Amino acid sequence: MSTTIATTEKLVGKSIRRREDPRLITGTATYVDDLKLPGMHHACILRSPHAAAKIRSLDISAAQSHPGVVAVFTGPDVAGVGPVPCGASLPGLRVPHHAILATDRVYYVGHAVAVVVATDRYVAADAIDLIEVDYEPTAAVADPEKALEPGAPAVHPEWPDNVSFTYHQEGGEPDKAFAEAEVVVKQRITSQRLVPMPMETRGCVAEYHTAEKSLTLWSSTQIPHLLRTLVGQMLGLSENRVRVITPEVGGGFGCKLNVYAEEALAGFVAMKIGKPVKWIESRRENFLCTIHGRGHVDYYEIAARRDGTVLGLRLKLIQDLGAYQQLLTPAIPTLSVLMMPGLYKFRNISADIIGVFTNCVPTDAYRGAGRPEATHGVERMMDLLAAELNMDPAEIRLKNFIGNDEFPYATATGLSYDSGDYAAPLKKALDMVNYHALREDQRKAREQGRLMGIGISTYGEICAFGPSPATPAGGWESATVKIDPSGKVTVLTGASPHGQGEETTFAQIAADELGVSIDDVIVFHGDTAIVQYGIGTFGSRGTAVGGAALFFALKDLKAKIKKFGEMMLESDDITFSGGVCTCNKTGNTVSLAQIAGMSYRAMRLPVNEEPGMQATRFWEPPNFAFPFGAHIVVTEIDRETGHVEVSRYVAVDDCGNIINPLLVAGQVHGGVAQGLGQSLWEQAVYDDTGQLITGELMDYAVPKATSMPWIETGHTVTPSPVNPLGVKGVGEAGTIGCSPAVVNSVVDALSPLGVRHIDMPMTPEKVWKILQGERI
Amino acid sequence: MIPQNFAYSSPNSLEAALDQLADGSAKVLAGGMSLIPLMKLRLASPESLVDLRRVPGLKYIREENGVLHIGAMTTHYEVESSVLVRATCPLLAEAAASIGDVQVRNAGTIGGSVAHADPAADYPASLLALEASVTLASKAGERTLSLEDFLVDTMTTALEPGEIVREVTVGVERNDVGTAYAKMLQPASGFAIVGVAARIGTGFARIGVTGLASKAYRARNVEALLEGGADAAAAAAVIAEGIDANSDLHASADYRRHLATVYAARAIRQAISRAR
Amino acid sequence: MKIGGSYELALPPARAYTVLQDPSILARCMPGCDHLNRIGETAEGHVAYEMKMKMAISSVQGLFAGTVKLADPNEPTSFRLIVEGSGKVGFMKGEGVLTFVANGTGTDVRYEGEVNVGGVIAGVGQRLLDVTAKHIIKKFFGKVAAAIGEME
Ligand SMILES: Cc1cc2nc3c(=O)[nH]c(=O)nc-3n(C[C@H](O)[C@H](O)[C@H](O)COP(=O)(O)OP(=O)(O)OC[C@H]3O[C@@H](n4cnc5c(N)ncnc54)[C@H](O)[C@@H]3O)c2cc1C
Repeated sequence: MSTTIATTEKLVGKSIRRREDPRLITGTATYVDDLKLPGMHHACILRSPHAAAKIRSLDISAAQSHPGVVAVFTGPDVAGVGPVPCGASLPGLRVPHHAILATDRVYYVGHAVAVVVATDRYVAADAIDLIEVDYEPTAAVADPEKALEPGAPAVHPEWPDNVSFTYHQEGGEPDKAFAEAEVVVKQRITSQRLVPMPMETRGCVAEYHTAEKSLTLWSSTQIPHLLRTLVGQMLGLSENRVRVITPEVGGGFGCKLNVYAEEALAGFVAMKIGKPVKWIESRRENFLCTIHGRGHVDYYEIAARRDGTVLGLRLKLIQDLGAYQQLLTPAIPTLSVLMMPGLYKFRNISADIIGVFTNCVPTDAYRGAGRPEATHGVERMMDLLAAELNMDPAEIRLKNFIGNDEFPYATATGLSYDSGDYAAPLKKALDMVNYHALREDQRKAREQGRLMGIGISTYGEICAFGPSPATPAGGWESATVKIDPSGKVTVLTGASPHGQGEETTFAQIAADELGVSIDDVIVFHGDTAIVQYGIGTFGSRGTAVGGAALFFALKDLKAKIKKFGEMMLESDDITFSGGVCTCNKTGNTVSLAQIAGMSYRAMRLPVNEEPGMQATRFWEPPNFAFPFGAHIVVTEIDRETGHVEVSRYVAVDDCGNIINPLLVAGQVHGGVAQGLGQSLWEQAVYDDTGQLITGELMDYAVPKATSMPWIETGHTVTPSPVNPLGVKGVGEAGTIGCSPAVVNSVVDALSPLGVRHIDMPMTPEKVWKILQGERI
Repeated sequence: MIPQNFAYSSPNSLEAALDQLADGSAKVLAGGMSLIPLMKLRLASPESLVDLRRVPGLKYIREENGVLHIGAMTTHYEVESSVLVRATCPLLAEAAASIGDVQVRNAGTIGGSVAHADPAADYPASLLALEASVTLASKAGERTLSLEDFLVDTMTTALEPGEIVREVTVGVERNDVGTAYAKMLQPASGFAIVGVAARIGTGFARIGVTGLASKAYRARNVEALLEGGADAAAAAAVIAEGIDANSDLHASADYRRHLATVYAARAIRQAISRAR
Repeated sequence: MKIGGSYELALPPARAYTVLQDPSILARCMPGCDHLNRIGETAEGHVAYEMKMKMAISSVQGLFAGTVKLADPNEPTSFRLIVEGSGKVGFMKGEGVLTFVANGTGTDVRYEGEVNVGGVIAGVGQRLLDVTAKHIIKKFFGKVAAAIGEME
């Protein structure tokens, strides 16, 4: 073991390899499904094969008497458990009662109907097949626009119009802007439903300690503390008797930023049977029962002057909510509205959201959560406008960007953009592709009859969620830094990283601030009994909010270290740097280990100081942070088959200061992969009867390593004034910037044929049909 | 995603395997790339599995008298990377290399692929163009069929209960023939939406098609046109004539028919360019 | 999913019509069909039979229980066939109109209708649904033709 080495070389800004990776790539990480507790039982859930049906009767007797089965629970058994919570509130929002097991009706395919608990996972699965349910299927509706038609089947009979809420937001004078506009362009744009698809599905283990009346819940979640609060409420347990632990979490992408019925159900079962119980979601269940993302039908109108100056943007947004409100379901489209102006000086905005119930699994946050949809909309509209005015898409963007001297910039949607130099990444990306030469190549390609396209998107996003008044559950984050008597450092973060790499970046920050080796820092998270309350990891907030909390905790601790240094060196003129306090007069030093040791032995203490070497901070951000960037995509379309080949992908992102370039690149790559997935391949397809017909990985096309183009990344750096690290967040940027660039590129390729717009995913058959002159 | 209970045995001789399979109640397990997913979804729930992986003498590639013999348990990867196959029957190596992904190719077998008779499987197109034969073995003895006769319909073959595919044979490629396999892959699974294998020589053409119809077939109309001197496009144009084309969410019947003509033309052109 | 096609039977339309309404023939010819028991007439006046069916294609197997209904009789030109079944692997409903058109000495039996499936087979079987439906229909008519051959 190395000792504390004084380093002066800064780690922040360096491409340090992820400290998480060795355990992940050697298969030694512990996921929920790796847990084995003494006496542990297994739960398996019976799910509805119907999208809408009444449950006439349910016969569990055969399952109950199946050898190895310990218990079977159905809807009435769990009536005392609180409903699955919806944390978002909007005026007039209709929130259906969301029981953890269905009682008299089922509302979507996959709706949980009964749970079997057995000594063995295989036995539990067998017993599920023995439950007889007499369903009376009723008419279902899976398409949000059809659900709005008069006479459509009612998802919830009590609300025949299928409308959960409507929401209007306006800024400036949109009607006037449209009346005075020289050009108005309209387009219907969809963002299809997607399956978030973390490699690790959901799962949990619950253990109830009868004597202590306390519950330990291991869950693959992004929000251990919120889960603890909410599951405690659902189960009627006092919060201090619930402990949530997140072991390794194999990806979330937003779908684990939620509180699910199964988490409470596992707790309920453990309390009932007095034995630990494990539930692991199958991939099938993951498709059917874990939230989906997107699900928009958007009607856009853009108003502009003939010179390309944008004046106003109107949006009617139809959000497919699914059958229930999960934690943030209705809030997601409101984020689209907030970001609809993009990076441009739209002074006049009007948006109407209609939240629609369908007989599908609920939608909720998926990588980007509302902002990819918004960016897709505004970036498509900018291209449509450019096409209408015969302007270059780069030029129209440069013309309308918010200027560098206008920050903080108050948007027409009520946000205050923190900082930006919006032209910089676009110019850099244009340089990287050698734009003029590329257009020349395109001209030649067209002469040869080839369909080559160049697509640009310049995205802005809202992240680092966020000031507490603007978030449902608090937007701050917490950090504790502890220095052991031997001088080793432990960081406890309230954020709950699950693949983002904060165990590395937070260690970089702590090592730099304390001047110790990164090997002497460990970062711990995801156990509510050990880590102070925190909000979690989502919305590109981990570093921008959690890292800032860490920064302030380190600052407090450094002040205490200095006081100990002053006492031990008997001087008030000392410097703490490189992990040692040095007396500026004598040159005498004391190391951090000596100081920490002194603070715990406490033979002597500085005036007004307590023993120990630990600091905790809860940091409330004053604003969101607003990263931005430019993606340029070159595509070539196979005329004969409609196949889209991405021949070049350039991503220039500005996420403020960069703590670790390697991790930023990784986030951009992953984000772009998911953006390409939406653009070209992925879609959760429900048929007219509400069956999810892309219900397995053999039909739902997640991008693979072999389907990815080479991604050229670049950066510009515009620090955020919002937090002391100057960082902005980059977890979702790749996804947000990607899809409009790809669609713009394909539309550009097809523009000689008069094509103006294509909805995603741009499958070969869809493109081929367009090439055949069909209107899609 | 948990299969029902099943009995499992892993015999270490062909005789023992055939004994255990004789009453027709057990299923053969080869690479498990098709069978195991079906079992996990409980779409297939065989009472017992007889695993062929430890049966000696089912995994080989050898040439005898101008005929290439490939044991049923030979994996896609072994075919793809075999120096012998590449030298003597490049079309087969090309087809094997186009299957799914590396993990699938490392486990999946040629015997399993033909026995499963998935209408979108890659091998059959090439094997039909190669006029391959399959040798079936059972306790009662052996018989050899042309692959064309072996493939009956969607996931239906001439295998009788108790019978296994023991070997696949193809002729060593003729010197004057160039070959190619062209496919549009379905992005989720890698299966062929349409795949066309072509073997073209002077006055000689063999065309196998997969993905288009309920089973892979030889497009004799295209072969005849090519042998009669038609060019690639003209010959390819008739490939879907009279075919009741498959349709699913990845490709409609019309699109598949169109793709068949495109990929046929591509395979034919490439085969011609490779012919000496 | 829409289905449609035609099959030639070596019987005049009137005979073909009665053969395809004959529950014993249906029971024999529907692939994997165990039995058909007449359960009477439905409220809509459809003749309904209870059925059990074991579908097996390659290693894929499904046990379905349900009903077969004959409706809208328009002898000898057309009737509607409704097959509904459910089992552990999901459920299916096939509904189609059979039309009998004289073709020389035989009959062209045309069918046009829709098949809906739910549950596991709908979620994971998309790629093979269409070919499988065709396969089953082909098998059904093949068996009907064979049964006719035996009768004649
Ligand atoms: C993700 C994924 C992607 C795939 N992509 C493709 C693709 O792109 N192209 C493609 O062609 N295939 C693809 N496949 C299928 C793959 O090629 C399978 O390996 C192959 O179809 C079956 O071979 P197996 O050895 O795995 O057979 P198994 O799964 O073990 O068996 C399949 C069936 O054949 C029977 N069987 C197996 N061997 C014999 C034998 N010797 N005699 C008698 N019966 C036997 C079994 O009883 C079973 O019914 C893919 C599979 C997966 C999982």
